[in-house]
Amino acid sequence: MLAFLGTIGVAAALIGAILLVVRASVVARGKGGADLAGPVKLVVAGSMTSMAAMQIALALDDFSIAYLANNHATATPFPFDVATAWAALEGSILLWGLVLAGFTWMVFTAYRRAPDRLGAAALAVMGIVAIFFFGLMTTVANPFEVCVAAAERGCLDSSPFPWATADVPIDGRGPNPLLQNHIFMAIHPPLLYLGYVGLTVPFAYAIGALAISVPGAEWLRRSQRGTLIAWSFLTLGIVIGAWWAYEVLSWGGYWAWDPVENASFMPWLVATAFLHSALVQQRRGMLQAWNFVLVISAFALTILGTFITRSGTIASVHSFTQSAIGPTLLGFLVLVLVGSFTLFAQRGHLLASAPRVENMVSREGTFLANNLLLTVFAFVVLIGTMFPIILEAVTGTRVGVRGPFFNRLSVPLSFLLLLLVGIGPVTPWGGATPQLVWKRIRGPLVAGLIAGLLTAVTVTRNGWVVITVVLGVFVIASTGALLVGQAGRRRSKTGEGLAAAIARVTKGDARFWSGQLSHVGVVLVALGISFAANLSQHQEVVMREGDQVVFAGHTITYRAPFQQRHPGKTSSGIRLEVVRPNGSRVTLEPTHNFFPGHPNGVATPAVDTRASGDLYVMLLTLDENRVATVELDTSPMMWVLWLGGLTVAAGGFLSYRNRRQERAPARAEAVGV
Amino acid sequence: MSERTRNLIYGGLIVALIAVVGFLIATNPTEADRVSRLGASIMCPVCQGEAIIHSPSEMAREMMDLIEERVGQGATDQQIIDELTASYGQGILLDPPVSGPTLILWLAPAIALVAGIGAIVWWRRHPSDPGDPTAAPAGRTRTAVTALILIGSAAAVLVAVTSFLQDRDETALGVADLQVEDLDEVSNQTLEAVIAANLDHPQISGMRLALADRYREEGDYRSAFPHYFAVVESETSDAGQRVAALAGLAWITWDGNGEADTALGLLDRALEIQPGSVPVRFLEGRILHCSGQSDRSERVLSDLLQEPSLTVEWKQIVSDELAAVEAREVCA
Amino acid sequence: MKSGMRWVGYGLALAAVVLSVILATRFGRDPGLVESPLIGQPAPEFTLPSLDGEETVSLTDLRGDVVVVNFFASWCLECRLEHPDLVASSDTFGPTGVTFVQIGYQERPQDSSAWLDDVGRSDHTLYLHDPGSRTAIAYGVFGIPETFFIDPDGTVVGKIIGEADALTIGATIDAIKRGERPGQSVTGNTQQRPDS
Repeated sequence: MLAFLGTIGVAAALIGAILLVVRASVVARGKGGADLAGPVKLVVAGSMTSMAAMQIALALDDFSIAYLANNHATATPFPFDVATAWAALEGSILLWGLVLAGFTWMVFTAYRRAPDRLGAAALAVMGIVAIFFFGLMTTVANPFEVCVAAAERGCLDSSPFPWATADVPIDGRGPNPLLQNHIFMAIHPPLLYLGYVGLTVPFAYAIGALAISVPGAEWLRRSQRGTLIAWSFLTLGIVIGAWWAYEVLSWGGYWAWDPVENASFMPWLVATAFLHSALVQQRRGMLQAWNFVLVISAFALTILGTFITRSGTIASVHSFTQSAIGPTLLGFLVLVLVGSFTLFAQRGHLLASAPRVENMVSREGTFLANNLLLTVFAFVVLIGTMFPIILEAVTGTRVGVRGPFFNRLSVPLSFLLLLLVGIGPVTPWGGATPQLVWKRIRGPLVAGLIAGLLTAVTVTRNGWVVITVVLGVFVIASTGALLVGQAGRRRSKTGEGLAAAIARVTKGDARFWSGQLSHVGVVLVALGISFAANLSQHQEVVMREGDQVVFAGHTITYRAPFQQRHPGKTSSGIRLEVVRPNGSRVTLEPTHNFFPGHPNGVATPAVDTRASGDLYVMLLTLDENRVATVELDTSPMMWVLWLGGLTVAAGGFLSYRNRRQERAPARAEAVGV
Repeated sequence: MSERTRNLIYGGLIVALIAVVGFLIATNPTEADRVSRLGASIMCPVCQGEAIIHSPSEMAREMMDLIEERVGQGATDQQIIDELTASYGQGILLDPPVSGPTLILWLAPAIALVAGIGAIVWWRRHPSDPGDPTAAPAGRTRTAVTALILIGSAAAVLVAVTSFLQDRDETALGVADLQVEDLDEVSNQTLEAVIAANLDHPQISGMRLALADRYREEGDYRSAFPHYFAVVESETSDAGQRVAALAGLAWITWDGNGEADTALGLLDRALEIQPGSVPVRFLEGRILHCSGQSDRSERVLSDLLQEPSLTVEWKQIVSDELAAVEAREVCA
Repeated sequence: MKSGMRWVGYGLALAAVVLSVILATRFGRDPGLVESPLIGQPAPEFTLPSLDGEETVSLTDLRGDVVVVNFFASWCLECRLEHPDLVASSDTFGPTGVTFVQIGYQERPQDSSAWLDDVGRSDHTLYLHDPGSRTAIAYGVFGIPETFFIDPDGTVVGKIIGEADALTIGATIDAIKRGERPGQSVTGNTQQRPDS
C-alpha cells in the first residue's frame, strides 16, 4: 500500500512539474496569466506524500518495498531509521525532490507577492529541474519498487509497478554500517542537499532572466535569499561532514581531498565567489556576464558532484554502487551546461554593456581579485579531481592525484585569500588612494606579525603555522579596528557605551557585519587546519591488559576489553584510563562496531576533546589474547576548526535573516508607490 | 608625529618583524628526514588516497620499513621511487610527476591564474561597449553554431548511454560456471585440473565427458576410461550423459581390449536407460560387425533403418554400414 | 566585444560536451583497477623460507619452468574459495614443468600452515613465507588473492586478480606454453587485511 502511496506522490509531483513548466513558460513569454499555484502545490504535496510514505514504511518495517529490504532492518534504531530514507541512492533522490519542492515553493511565494515574467520564468526553470529529478524517481532510481524476489535478508529483484505481487523478506539488510554510526551522518546529507539544491534558485532566476532577455540586477536581488540560504547550508553540510569523518571514520582526519568531498567543495567555492561578485553588480553594475557564468557553473558543479558520487566512474572512499543513474546524470549535466551557455551566448549582446573597474585599489577591485582566486581554487580542485579520468581516457595511463597536489596548491591560494580578507573590507567602494589603505592595514599587519613572532618563539617555528597566525591575526585586527573605529566615531557623537555603540554599528550595516562574522570563521578554520596539519603527534602502541604508556603528556592505562550488545549492533572495544597533562582523569573506549548483515566492522575512535587539543584514540586490532594495537593522536585545538566552520555558516544565516528584515520595509514602499 | 614619520616607523617595524619571523621559520630545526618525506609521497596501496606514513595498515608500515632499509643501504630517493613504481605503477605516487602528461596538471592552475589576470587587464583596458539590446544577433552563423552544439551534446548523451549498455570488459574465460563449449583451446591438463577442483559441481559430468571423448579421439583410452566410468557412476549425470559414457566405454573396451561381449553388455545397459537410442544401436551393429557376428549386425542395423525418426545423416551412415555388412566387408 | 561574449558562451558549452564525452567513456570500468606494470617485465627475484622454515626457495632455481606465484592468507575468503583449484592445478600441471608457489601474505607462517592443514596442500606446490611483505611489495600486491604467471625465461606474462579458478589458471598456463602472453585478468574481488 505504501509503495502505491509513494508512487502516486512521485507521479503527482512529476505531473505538477510538467504542468508548471508549461504554464510558467506561457506567463514568462508574456502571453497572459495562468494559474501557477496549482502545479506548485501539486509538486510540494506530491513530494511530501512520497517522503511521508517512505517514513511510514520505515516505521512499519514494510520490507515489501525493495529499497527498505536492501537498506533498512528491523533492528535499526532511531534516528538512523529515519535517516535511512536518504542513506542510499534512490532515497537520496527522494530527499533531493523534497528539498527541490521546498525551494520551488520559496520561489513561488516570491512570485505570488509580485507576479511578473521573471518570476514565472524562474519557476519554469525550477520545473524543468524538478521534471528531471522526479523523472529519475519514476525510472532509474525508483525508491518505491516492490520486491518480487526476496532473499533471506534483502531483495534480489524488484518491479516498478506498485501493484506487483510482493515477495516480502523477513528482514532487511540494514543501512551501510558507516552510515549508522553517528548522529552526524543522519543530518549531514539533508544539510548538504539543502545547499546543493538551493543553488537551483539563483540558477533558475539567472536562466529565467536570460530566457526572457531581461538581464540587469533584478534576478540577483530576487535570488539573493535563495543563494544565501543555500550557501549557508552548504557550508554547514561540509563542516558537519568533516566533523563526522573525524569522529567516525578511520581514514585519517577530517578532510582527504576525496573526489566526493571535492564535489561539495567546488560548488561552495564558486558560490562564495558569486556572493561577492553579486554584491559588485548590485553596488556598481559591473560583472553582469560574469555573474551568469558563476551561477551556471555553481549549479552544474552540484550536478557534477552528484554524478561523481553516484556514477561509480571515480574511485572514492565513498563507495556507492554503480547504476544506470550515471549516464542519466551525465546526460542532464550536458543538457544543463550546453543549454545554459548556448542561451548565455545568444544573449551575449545584452550582457556586454557594464562599466569597468576604474581603480583596482577599491572594494570592487579586491572582490575582483577574490573572484579570480576563488575560481582558480575551484579550477584546481576540478582539474585535480577530473584529470586522472581524462588522462586515462585519452592515453590509457593511470596517475593518482591525491592530497599533496591539492595541499600544495590550496595553501598558497588560501594565504592570498586570507590576505585579501584583511584588506578588502577596509577598502572603500569606488576607489581610494593606496595611502588610505596602507594607513588602515599597517596597524593590523604589525599586530599579525607580533602574534607570529610570539608563536614562533613560544609554540612552534613551523612556517605554515606561523604564517597562518600572522594572516589570521591580521584579518581579525583589521576587521576589529574597523568596527572599533566606527563605534568610536559613533560614541563621540552620541556618547553611548562601547558595547552599545558596537551593537548599533553592526545593526546599522548588518549585511556587511554578518559577512565579517563569516570572515572571522574563515580565519578560525584556517588556524584549525594549520594546527591540525602541522602540530599533531602520532604514535602506535601495542598494549596488553594493565600496560601503561605515556603519550604527549597523557598517561594511558589499558584496563580491560569489553563486549556490548546494542539493538542493531555489537561493539567490542577496550577501556582506557587516561590521566591528562593537568592531572584530571577520563575513561576512553575506542571500539569496533559490527552490524548484522555486514561482515566488516567499523572502527569508532574515542576522542577526548579539550580546549588545548584532542586526544584521539583508535583501536586498530584486538586479538584473542586481549592484546590491543592502538593508534594515538593529539590534534591541538581541533575545536577551533569546528567553531570556525560553524561561524562561517552562522554569518550566512545572519545575513539571510537580515535580508529578510530589509525586505519588509522595501515591500511597504512598493505598496505605497 | 607627522604622517611621514608614522609611515617610516610602521614600515620599519613591519620589515624588521618580517625579517625576524622569516629567520625563525627558515631556521626551524625539525626538518623532516628523508624517510618520512618519502613516506608522505607514497600512497598506501590498500587504503584510498592515504600516504603510507599516515596509514595504520600493516602494508603501509611494511612499506615504511622497506623505505627505511633502502635509505640505510644508500639508495637515492629516485631509486626508491622507481622501484616502487615498477611494482605498483605511477598510481602509487601521491604527487603526480612534474613531467610527461601530468605536467599539464601542474601547469594548468598557473595558466588559469595568468589567463584570469590577463582577462581582467584586457577587460579594464576595453572601455564599456554601449550595449545595444535591439541589435539583431547574427542570424545564420548563430543558428549553425547552436545546431552544432546541440548535435554535439546529443552525441555525447548517446555515447554515454551506449557505452553504459555495452558489455562490461569481459575479464576472463567463462570461469566458475563451467562452460563446456569453447574449450577447444584448453589443454587436457587444464580440464583435468578443472575436474579435480570441481568434483562436487553438478555439471562436472559434461566436462568429464568432453575430456574423455577427447582422450578417446586421441587414442588415449587409458586416460579416457576413468572419466567415462565416473560419469556412469555419478549421481549428477543425466540420462544422456550416462548413455554417452556407456557408449564410450563400450567402444574403448572393444577397440582397446577386444572384449566384444563386455562392450555389448555395456551397450545393453545404455539401451535400458534410453531404449532405442540411435547412436547406441548403431554402435552395437558396428561392434557386432567388427567382431565377426555379421548376421546379428545385419538385423540390428536393418531394424534401425526402419526407425521413422532417423535423420537423413544417420540414415546415410547406417545404410552405408549395412551395405558393408551385407557385402561381408572387413570392418574399418 | 558583443560577439566576444557569445563565443565565450559557445566555447564553454563545447568544453562541457568534450568533458562529458570523456566521462562517458568511463562507464562500466572499474576505477580501482590498475594494469600491473610488471607484465612484460622480468619477474622480481625472491629467496624465501618455506612455511616450516626448513628450506629456502629462490625464484632463480625455478628458471626453465612456468612459475605460478600466488599470494594468499588464512584470513582471506576468496583464497579459501580458490584453494581447491590451485591444489588441483598444481597436482595436474606439477609433473609437466609448471611450479606453483604460494606465498603467505601478512601473517605468521604458523597461521598459514595451520590453515593449509585445514584446507589441504598439493605435493607439487612450494609454500613460502614472506617476512616483512618484501616480495608482496616487489610484486605490487594491492589485495589478495593475486596470482602471477612467469614464463620459463623469467618474465611476468600473466596475472589473475581475485579468485583464480582452475579453468582460468589452466587456460593461462596453456597460453604461456603456446608462447603467448595472456596478460591480466580479473575474476573477482580481492581483500585487504580486515584490520587495515
